[in-house]
Amino acid sequence: MTLGLFNPRRWYYILGRKKITELIILCVFIVFFYGPLIHLFILAFADKYEYPWVLPREFGIRWWEYVFKQKSLVSSMSLSFTFAFLSTAISMVICLPAAFILSRYNFKGRKLIMLSFLIGNAFPKIGLYTSIGIIYYKLGLMGTFVGVLIIHMIESMMIMIWLPTSAFRSVPRQMEEAARDVGAGPVRTFFSITLPLAWPGIAVAAVFAFIASLGENQGTLLVGLPTYKTMPVEMYGVILDYPATAGAVFALILMIPHLLLLLLLRRYIGPETLSKGFKMN
Amino acid sequence: MEKKTWKTNLFIVLMLAPSLIMTLGVIVYPLINTFIRSFTAKDGSFTIEHYKFIFTDDIAVGNIIYTLWIVVVTVIGSIFISYLLALYLRFTDSKISKFIGTLYILPRFMPTLVAVYAMITVIRDSGLLNRISVLFGGDFKPGLMYNAKGIILMNLWFNIPFATMIIVASLSAIPDSIIESARDVGAKKLNVFFKIILPLSIKDVMIAMTFIFMSNISSFTTPYVMGGNNPIMLGVYLRKQFSEYSNYELAAALSVVMFVLSSIPALIYIYTNLKEQEWEKTH
Repeated sequence: MTLGLFNPRRWYYILGRKKITELIILCVFIVFFYGPLIHLFILAFADKYEYPWVLPREFGIRWWEYVFKQKSLVSSMSLSFTFAFLSTAISMVICLPAAFILSRYNFKGRKLIMLSFLIGNAFPKIGLYTSIGIIYYKLGLMGTFVGVLIIHMIESMMIMIWLPTSAFRSVPRQMEEAARDVGAGPVRTFFSITLPLAWPGIAVAAVFAFIASLGENQGTLLVGLPTYKTMPVEMYGVILDYPATAGAVFALILMIPHLLLLLLLRRYIGPETLSKGFKMN
Repeated sequence: MEKKTWKTNLFIVLMLAPSLIMTLGVIVYPLINTFIRSFTAKDGSFTIEHYKFIFTDDIAVGNIIYTLWIVVVTVIGSIFISYLLALYLRFTDSKISKFIGTLYILPRFMPTLVAVYAMITVIRDSGLLNRISVLFGGDFKPGLMYNAKGIILMNLWFNIPFATMIIVASLSAIPDSIIESARDVGAKKLNVFFKIILPLSIKDVMIAMTFIFMSNISSFTTPYVMGGNNPIMLGVYLRKQFSEYSNYELAAALSVVMFVLSSIPALIYIYTNLKEQEWEKTH
């Protein structure tokens, strides 16, 4: 019997050409896109990972303990979340009124205003950050908390205008009118009809803004050093200076919030809104 | 639309003001300032010496060519692979294609640095690939770090999911009935592709190309971590001029050059679209 388990011809006859091609596509896809991430995951739980072993020889959480003992890494985590939370909250306060106006009123220059919120995307990011940096030097904002916060708000403001505008627009006008007809004032109509109905879209925007801030690294590297090192900025140093196993742990920590928030989104809002959301970026 | 009184107008202005002021102050003003600064000499007079330097200095020109080369290879490579993947996802109805269809979105959400680091642990000379080769008795050094190859590989990783998403959406808009009827009258598969599928999706392919070109001209993280010392990509070069040499005028001119380079494909796209519209009007 020459047709053993590992003989490709045997599989060819069992599955047929089409299935084989599909399986090859799947394998290449998984190896290229998920291989590095899976490898990272394995490394993060490797207590012993010596050259030239392909897989770690002992598993455990030794490197997690190590990472959580590094003061600079731990403080970068809380700093990252502080910036993400503040930039999202502030841009919500600043941008939601504008988003509501842009969805409800038509006036001269409305399109221009909409587009002006996208200007940050039309210019190369690193060029925009250096441009802001030049101003920061003049104003003494280099390496300050406010300076970094503003950098984080650039992205979240764009998200907070565009997504909520379409969320407000999708609220049926008839429902608002019905509320007005039975005697609710404009403020009450907004808070008990419009806002709750637009909420899913606003929540998506908030999550995207939060994630964008957590992942922001170029601008913070440029204007935040040496005082304000968020997780991604620390990651630059970790890549150079730390052993691969510790780096993997830190990378996983950086990745977890992204995965969690996205899972949350998927369950509550569904993949269509999700794909609509990131086409805007 | 209700009739606008001065009260509604005031309301509109008040609600728009905070976000507009922020945008003008944080984005528009710095960009204008950069543009002016790029034409300013150290003593404050008008000059074009910074631009002259960028287009005559050996290192600067080398960096521009290096950047364009990496970006062009990235665009061609990711569009080619994405198109094949999108064709497969659109026209194969199987469990495997559905599975890939849900999986290919995730890489878009990876923080850049995590993805870059994950790739480094695999491809560096003591990484996973090398260890696997040692297991089989060889000693394969991929040689992908600190040169253009690694950057291109990483760019493919980032851009294929994005381009695939756009092309899949475009291919899904082509109704099955058109393709079936062409097949019914005897068109070969290749003919169907070149006469129907490609022309109907070429516009979105061009959009995807434009986006990939624009975002990669100014890419920073990947070349900063994975690239070598010379030549370097423009984003890294810009940061060097800004942070290490504090050469703000040159940094300003460099950002303008990067902006112009990155908007070329967008302009071409808009121009061809306008041409097409004119053609439709006259025919």
